[in-house]
Amino acid sequence: MIEIQSILVRFGGVIALNSVSAQFSKDVSGIIGPNGAGKTTLMNVISGFVSCKSGSVVVDGQNLLNLSPHRRAQWGLRRSFQKEQIADDLSVFENVLVQLDFRMGQTRENALEVEKMLDAVGMSEHANRLGAELSGYERRLTDVARCMVGSPRLIMLDEPAGGLSVDETHQLGNHITNIPQITGGQVLVIDHDVELISDICKETLVLDFGKRIAFGKTAEVLADPKVKSAYLGTEEVSA
Amino acid sequence: MRRSLFHVTPSGASGFVFAGVCFLILPSFLGSYWLSVFTSAACFALAAFGVAFMYARLGMVSLAQVGLMGVGGWIHLRLNYLFEWPFEVNLVIAALATMVFGWLLALPALRMRGLYLALVTLMAAGGLEILFATYQFPNGGEGFWGVKTGSFSPFRGPVIAQSAESYLRYVVAVCFLGFLIVEAHRRLAPGRAWAMIRRSEAAAMAVGVNVTLYKTWAFGIAGLLAGIAGGLLAGSLGLLDDGTFRSSESVLLFALAVVGGARFWLGAVITAVLYRILPALLNTWGVDPDIAYMIFGAGLLHAVITAPDGIGGQLYGLAALMRTKFGTRGVK
Repeated sequence: MIEIQSILVRFGGVIALNSVSAQFSKDVSGIIGPNGAGKTTLMNVISGFVSCKSGSVVVDGQNLLNLSPHRRAQWGLRRSFQKEQIADDLSVFENVLVQLDFRMGQTRENALEVEKMLDAVGMSEHANRLGAELSGYERRLTDVARCMVGSPRLIMLDEPAGGLSVDETHQLGNHITNIPQITGGQVLVIDHDVELISDICKETLVLDFGKRIAFGKTAEVLADPKVKSAYLGTEEVSA
Repeated sequence: MRRSLFHVTPSGASGFVFAGVCFLILPSFLGSYWLSVFTSAACFALAAFGVAFMYARLGMVSLAQVGLMGVGGWIHLRLNYLFEWPFEVNLVIAALATMVFGWLLALPALRMRGLYLALVTLMAAGGLEILFATYQFPNGGEGFWGVKTGSFSPFRGPVIAQSAESYLRYVVAVCFLGFLIVEAHRRLAPGRAWAMIRRSEAAAMAVGVNVTLYKTWAFGIAGLLAGIAGGLLAGSLGLLDDGTFRSSESVLLFALAVVGGARFWLGAVITAVLYRILPALLNTWGVDPDIAYMIFGAGLLHAVITAPDGIGGQLYGLAALMRTKFGTRGVK
């Protein structure tokens, strides 16, 4: 259970998140909204890269705001970025293993877990290739595998389908759907691709100009006129 | 699927062969002048490897490496005249103390990067330069600074390397160990953490890397290598001159590390050849050694514009091309 309570974030005079609250209880949940709605800011608050003026983020009873970003990762928070963060000079295996390096003295267990997750996303045969040699989709899959290791409790994926083809997006959606089953963690996905969100997310939060405008079952949320208006705008009829 | 920690790459194999040649053959063919030049070059190769690894692995520019060598050399000389401890004990203490000094230097610099980090380290090098010029290096005198005028007290070299020839072998062996220390780091958790930090500090934190710890660690390793290099240089000459450790020398060493190729062990060797052997060669030929600075400038321009991996990277690229052309495996 992810409980977000009254998150307020200001950047100077701009209110990026205005008292946003939501309780995510499903395996895979989504956050959508137009550009500048505050989706990534919310993810940055949860992962510790942006400080909020007030509010709390409680996951499985732990208030994450009390932990530094790397401590949140060690606690079980995983996140990917809009641009995948794969080190070019590390192999695929090493790019995933780095997530487990804080678990000292478990070399064998760590290696086995990395192999298992690479297998789960279909990257095991590329394990020894360098990050620099990978395609965009392979880099994204490596990123997802990294988010899956180490018994994560919360996995946040920021626009995972950005720049992918329709087929690749579909395959990635299948991998994301399987994550809770394989890892036991809860998944939070941000994406502009409404089709992907409606395919994989059981509940969705919609933000617009830093405010929550809808939250609930994905199908119901997407049918909400306020959401349609936020995405498509309202027609201006001249007299 | 997982590569062993102890696997040998083609680059590593050539490094083993190169170190073997330097250890077994080179010292036998050199006169006393060139033995001194090559010993000094080996010391600076180790120091250059420290600054190059910080730049290549973390993208951090440290312009205090030669100053840190001075710290290592100062401590080694002071211990030599203060106690009857073996050379190796003094060297280890000097290296560890310089590593701690590197950590202290890192503390204010950790919040900075790029140009600002370079400036902070340059200021530190400037401070060290003033200290060395004011108080000089110990030569067997009394008091904390241990400086006396007139004749110097004798310096105790390593028991197993009393001649200049054997000392060069000794320095090559220690340098080889220093290179292995960095390579082991690169293949283990610190290397992966550094790669992520270089990619993005936010991404590193997101995978649980303690960025402050690993940045400090890198400064410590660079300090350790500089301390060893300074201690070995002190052992080569028996005394040190403050002119060797000017802040401008740190800038030059970093620039040459970029020219040599910061990502490769060969780059550190090329750096040392350019820094120490080329001027000596010009001097031998009766040419003004300062002409080397013009060559360095041209080399830096070349590296910045056309060869970001430096001469070392170009040589590896050439080797890979030849292997591809002749149907063998490429070098990585």
